[in-house]
Amino acid sequence: MPKLTFIEKDGNRREVDAPVGLSVMEVAHRFDVDIEGACEGSLACATCHVIVAEDWYAKIGEPSDDEEDMLDLAFGLKPTSRLCCQIVMTEELDGLVVQLPKEVNNMLG
Amino acid sequence: MANRDDSKPNPDKANRRPPGIYLDNQATTPTDPKVVEAMLPFFTERFGNPHSVHHAFGWDAEEAVEKGRAQLAALIGATPREVIFTSGATESNNLAIKGAARFHRERRPHVVTLASEHKCVLESVRQLEREGHPVTILPVGGDGLVDLDLLAETVTEETAVVSIMAVNNEIGVIQPLAEIAAICRDKGAYFHCDAAQAVGKIPLDVAALGIDLLSISGHKFYGPKGIGALYVRRRPRVRLQPMIDGGGQERGLRSGTLPTPLCVGLGTAAAIAAEVMVEEAGRISALKTRLLEGIKGRLSGVALNGHATLRVAGNLNLAFEGVDAEALMRAMPRLAVSSGSACTSTAVEPSYVLRALGLDDARARSSIRLAIGRFNTAAEIDTAVEELATQVTRLRAEGSAAAE
Repeated sequence: MPKLTFIEKDGNRREVDAPVGLSVMEVAHRFDVDIEGACEGSLACATCHVIVAEDWYAKIGEPSDDEEDMLDLAFGLKPTSRLCCQIVMTEELDGLVVQLPKEVNNMLG
Repeated sequence: MANRDDSKPNPDKANRRPPGIYLDNQATTPTDPKVVEAMLPFFTERFGNPHSVHHAFGWDAEEAVEKGRAQLAALIGATPREVIFTSGATESNNLAIKGAARFHRERRPHVVTLASEHKCVLESVRQLEREGHPVTILPVGGDGLVDLDLLAETVTEETAVVSIMAVNNEIGVIQPLAEIAAICRDKGAYFHCDAAQAVGKIPLDVAALGIDLLSISGHKFYGPKGIGALYVRRRPRVRLQPMIDGGGQERGLRSGTLPTPLCVGLGTAAAIAAEVMVEEAGRISALKTRLLEGIKGRLSGVALNGHATLRVAGNLNLAFEGVDAEALMRAMPRLAVSSGSACTSTAVEPSYVLRALGLDDARARSSIRLAIGRFNTAAEIDTAVEELATQVTRLRAEGSAAAE
């Protein structure tokens, strides 16, 4: 099973087994990683914002316009920011590293 | 009151136009009466907050704001969602340049611009330099144009943004935008274009030209003062660090309640420009030829600053040999012209733009900018020629008398 590493807000690294076909957000929820995901992956919020490790960013493909529109509203945006509900685990993503931002902005209130 | 200097506005008559012929249309333009008419209801009856989502007052204002946005987008070949309203081109330039450089500072800290850019571009770049960004301020040629080979050597994979204006505010030259855009795209850098003097004057299509960020000013093309816009490309997405924190209006890039009347005014100005631009450019160009030929027919020792043909229709920047521009302007109180740009006119020193062309101080100090606009007439141009010819001749005679 592919490995996935979350770098948490305090800098702690958590490596977990990430089943192929689940989104990074779903994996986070399964392992109680502190990622909100208020709209449950429907691209209506930016609360599952993560910063992808630079060497991985190009490998996970381009974000859609809808995702970019939601990223417009994310706090602490970086050049490799993504919404992790849109990153679906594959064997090729074995070793993926994502970092949780310092703050999130829940526009759903 | 009998001794009142009638070249000065009379404060007792608030709505009275100051006397004289206005040939300073690159400093500002009068708001088109049709623009004012469109704006007026949004100060009083239709006053809602365009961000109020719970009642009709808000929806009405929002609809008006979005119409303005669409009208402006159509003028520059953008989609409405790519247009961010700001307070004017100075804010747009600050947001584009600082926003791009700060967002990308880890991988792409470098910023490039030209020595002949507007002060607010140069000062934004200098601020970034103080923050530790490497910056390059490139020289321009004697005609005021960018050296494309030099630009191509300068822009690298570490360049976040290249800021080059479309039309120069002092000498009116038009930069080769598509060529600049291609150089930027090749290295993955953003191309920011300060188009304050170009929008509504020359055709601009951000998509066709490959521009990533474009600054717009309302009052430079017969819209109201206090509003402008920044075009921010959505595909591929251009990312900026906002300068203003708040409610996340304008795609999070520019928080703050939008000024509905000003947005309506800017949109209306854009719609008018889209309709009349071609005809107007032809008419203004004919007036410019009339002005230049009139002056040259009466005076020798007159030189044009900046490229002779790659320039906006309304601009003439002329050096009158042996004449001090400040003295000339004082001698023609009924002719509203300028030396250098109004934005830096608190300093009485030769224009840095003219010096960037390699002109010596004497020529820079003898230069004035004549900027023709929508509401100038042939009769005004003829009067201006007469006034200029008379006063230049007089000042030259005085100068040579003083030298003897």
